[in-house]
Amino acid sequence: MQLTKEKLLVPELSNDKLIDLYKQMWQIRLFDEKVDEFFAKGMIHGTTHLAVGQEASAAGVCALLTLEDKITSTHRGHGHCIAKGATADKMMAELFGRTTGYCKGKGGSMHIADVDMGNLGANGIVAGGIPLAVGSALTAKMKKLDYVTVCFFGDGATNEGSFHEAVNLAAIWDLPVIFVCENNQYGMSGPVKEMTRVENIADRAHAYGIPGVVADGNDIIEMINVTDEAIKRARSGKGPTLIEAKTYRWKGHSKSDAKKYRTREEEQEWRKKDPIKRYKEILIEAGILTEEKAEEIRLAVKQEIEDAVKFAEESPKPTLDDLLTDVYA
Amino acid sequence: MMREITYLEAVREAMSIEMRKNDDVYILGEDIGVYGGAFGVTRGMIEEFGPERIRNTPISEAGIAGAAVGSALTGMRPILELQFSDFITIALDQMVNQAAKIRYMYGGKGKVPMVLRTPSGSGTGAAAQHSQSLEAWVAHIPGLKVVQPSTAYDAKGLLKAAMDDENPVIFYEHKLLYKTSSAVPEEEYSIPLGKADIKREGTDVTIVATAIMVHKSLEAAKELEKEGISVEVIDPRTIVPLDEETIVNSVKKTGKVIVVHEAVKRGGIGGEIASMIAESEAFDYLDAPIKRLGGASSPIPYNPELEKAHVPQVSDIIKAVKETLNRA
Amino acid sequence: MAKEVFMPKLSSTMEVGTLLQWFKEEGDPVEVGEPIFEIMTDKINIEVEAYEEGVLLKKYFEEDDEVPVNTVIAYIGEEGEVVPAESPGISGEDSDPAAETDSAIGNSTVKVAGETEEAKSEAVLENGKVRATPAARRVARENDIALNPVAGSGPKGRIHEQDVIQAISDNAVLVTPLAEKIAKENDVDLGHVIGTGARGKIEKADVLAFIEAQKAPSSKPATGERVKLKGLRKAIADKMLESVRSIPHVTLTSDVDMTKAIELRKALLPIVESQTGYRLSYTEIIIKTVAHVLGNHPKVNAALIGNEIVYNNDVNIGLAVAVDNGLIVPSVKKANKKGLAELTEASKTLGRKARDNKLTPDEMQGSTFTISNLGMYAIDGFTPIINPPETAILGVGRIAEKPVVVNGQIEVRPMMVLSLSFDHRVIDGAPAAEFLTELKESLEDPYSLLV
Repeated sequence: MQLTKEKLLVPELSNDKLIDLYKQMWQIRLFDEKVDEFFAKGMIHGTTHLAVGQEASAAGVCALLTLEDKITSTHRGHGHCIAKGATADKMMAELFGRTTGYCKGKGGSMHIADVDMGNLGANGIVAGGIPLAVGSALTAKMKKLDYVTVCFFGDGATNEGSFHEAVNLAAIWDLPVIFVCENNQYGMSGPVKEMTRVENIADRAHAYGIPGVVADGNDIIEMINVTDEAIKRARSGKGPTLIEAKTYRWKGHSKSDAKKYRTREEEQEWRKKDPIKRYKEILIEAGILTEEKAEEIRLAVKQEIEDAVKFAEESPKPTLDDLLTDVYA
Repeated sequence: MMREITYLEAVREAMSIEMRKNDDVYILGEDIGVYGGAFGVTRGMIEEFGPERIRNTPISEAGIAGAAVGSALTGMRPILELQFSDFITIALDQMVNQAAKIRYMYGGKGKVPMVLRTPSGSGTGAAAQHSQSLEAWVAHIPGLKVVQPSTAYDAKGLLKAAMDDENPVIFYEHKLLYKTSSAVPEEEYSIPLGKADIKREGTDVTIVATAIMVHKSLEAAKELEKEGISVEVIDPRTIVPLDEETIVNSVKKTGKVIVVHEAVKRGGIGGEIASMIAESEAFDYLDAPIKRLGGASSPIPYNPELEKAHVPQVSDIIKAVKETLNRA
Repeated sequence: MAKEVFMPKLSSTMEVGTLLQWFKEEGDPVEVGEPIFEIMTDKINIEVEAYEEGVLLKKYFEEDDEVPVNTVIAYIGEEGEVVPAESPGISGEDSDPAAETDSAIGNSTVKVAGETEEAKSEAVLENGKVRATPAARRVARENDIALNPVAGSGPKGRIHEQDVIQAISDNAVLVTPLAEKIAKENDVDLGHVIGTGARGKIEKADVLAFIEAQKAPSSKPATGERVKLKGLRKAIADKMLESVRSIPHVTLTSDVDMTKAIELRKALLPIVESQTGYRLSYTEIIIKTVAHVLGNHPKVNAALIGNEIVYNNDVNIGLAVAVDNGLIVPSVKKANKKGLAELTEASKTLGRKARDNKLTPDEMQGSTFTISNLGMYAIDGFTPIINPPETAILGVGRIAEKPVVVNGQIEVRPMMVLSLSFDHRVIDGAPAAEFLTELKESLEDPYSLLV
């Protein structure tokens, strides 16, 4: 579908789905901004990693996934969860440590998972989820199931041994897995240019004999298009693809980050590439969305997040008896 | 008369029986295909089950451990073979930070039914990086279960229980026990995890011993019997979960206890067992200090005399018993 | 070179001696054979003489110090010789004190205590707690007994469960059923009640007395002079307690008609006196008779040592002699081989030396059977306590005229009661009774001794 003169959307998606993706991007952004606010106010304990500015890759990659498909996520995982179908109320309840949360309040920000919905979990260990995704893909192959597994990770993770071991395994076994590297330019404070010699993370795919694709991570249409091809490849038994989504996190690494490793100017440059704003303009130009409707959606999401907070606040806390439950199955 | 098979054959037989019944069970590991595994445990299995289910992997302990965890989480029941238990260090992130914690972190959703089988122990001259017994490391991690069979019979029954378990189980096989034989039923059977076995009954002193130390303790007990000393030998068989009741009851009976393992004594599981006894109602029955025997605080040396000196021997156990009984 | 002066071991049981007084000061010249200091053992006071001549270079202990045997107490040598600043401990371990360097001295002082002493002191922990296993503590707790007196069989004197069980069986409180019932009703801990019955058995009256005593205001401590239990008194206390604790005593008594013994004494008195200068007494006649009869009853002339019964070759009769502040038992060696004159001289000499505190260690050792004579008092029978490791002791009462039936006629005869306590572990009632019967018959017909 030709959305604008420049933008061609390869897979067939309904207008409703496209608008839904717009809404989803706001859900991701406003959820994380609310969380940011709560952390700043000290209302939530622990730590959190926000994906504000990276909404297009989460929403775009997951746009084509079915309920049966799986994802593994990272410490910066709220967006992936929402994109894979998680709802703000149960996520907020988890961050509040309540029993109604996705992990009954025992996982917190870094471990939101919903195995039944195909979300195999966010992960506190950098690159920790990559071998898991390969294992999930191995199950699909061995059980001859049709699902694919999407593996999200950051640029920092590609310097972990697990990344290389897992990508190699997926490659030699032609596993239906899609490796999505969200290159947001910094592994905590470490600039990707200083930590990696290759120009693009995607170049590393060649070392394992699989395709490596560079994409504009702030362009949801491009993310959908490259993912579409990777999924087709995976489902047809041809094996994995490494997608590099070049993007930027607007916030610091975690709640306490003075961001001394980057400049105001650089941040401003990337803010101009706001993925939500760009997508809205495309949709309006394509005649799928109006400014009024867009604002309506934003306000509705805002209310949804407020409702999620209310739900979380009113939810019960775990009892001390819960400490030792679910250690073993 | 029941047929006898080796410990190694018992492990293989347990896996083969299970794999014939359950398509979800598969083995992955390095050189487990036509080579048959570093110690030959999977020899012949690829011929029966094919390369999909006897999955030969690259040398990527972290990667294959993670793949096992991920596939377990999504419905398979993998058996991961590591060539030497020393290499668990490379796979440990996946076992400790992922496998052990997933169910708890996810609020009880998801499970990781997998077995990590790996041979441990010294005595082969393989020196410092191929001879360790690191079971205490994994025993420390809630979410993992840890099994250490000492006989062929136990190996088959415990492996069945481990494969049936819905949790990640670390299954330590002992290299020097692979060739030992005992009577093993041909049919399938399961020995529950967390049930110790009293390998020998006695009244004067309790020895809690694991893996190959069970045999050394039994040998010591036989010697000591000649001097009128009656030794009870308890093999916990699984150190997580630990059958505290059997140990405590034995100590209440004898009042004296020695814990023997091959792993380095410092920080070893013997300390845990000794502490458990001291905290239990057996405390008031203790009639001598609890004694621990374990490996020396050095890496495992290559020289055979030094290698032998590193781990407790029968004479060490006899000496410890006599000291405990004030008969030294 | 300086020579050591050490605490002598004066008997097989002596472990420590108390330094009573110094006769010399540091710097005093000393001749060979001159007494240097006086010590007291568990049995005797004795002056220790110099084996060397020279100058008393160094004294390591004060008066009243308890010093383990063989510990170096002093040095005798030439003026100006260097000796250790502190006692180097056991004599002979460092034969050349002058060569000692300061650093070596510290090492050797830790050896001052002998093995046993070391074990005893190590059995008590720094915090004052007794070294005992949890199981030993539990059994002690369940049986309400203190651990301190229990002897530990483990390393460093550690008390094990079996030690406590042993101690309980050794010390089992003997109590009559009625006394036990009364104690229970009144919530009395029997462990605190002193029994006055046989072998300390607690009887009804004891419990009632205890209850009475508890009622009385007893906050005031007992008044009166307090004397530390030490020296000979302590030795006797320990020995007597050990005897009644470890030996099941049985006492047999028999009346002896002393008519012929009195005749014998009258007849022999001048002869013995002319030979020895001492007056023959009944004691010697009884020694002679006992020694003779013991020869026919080797079981009674035995000693229980460890797990063995030793049948003594010699018959050495111990004589209980009352001295100031106690009782000493010198031994008449080979009494069965001695005639009455010789016996009289021996017994009189030993008695005097005992009272004068002049007995030699040899004279105090080796008795195989003891006689305790209270005949000079208005005592008939009593229950003497065995002198371990002997098997029996004979208590001798007074000779008193009593009506007895002789050949169907009541006659007045000089009668004496003999009380024989024996160790029921070693012998039983029958052999003890046979011995006592033969003894009685021999005394009643002393001429039989000539046969």
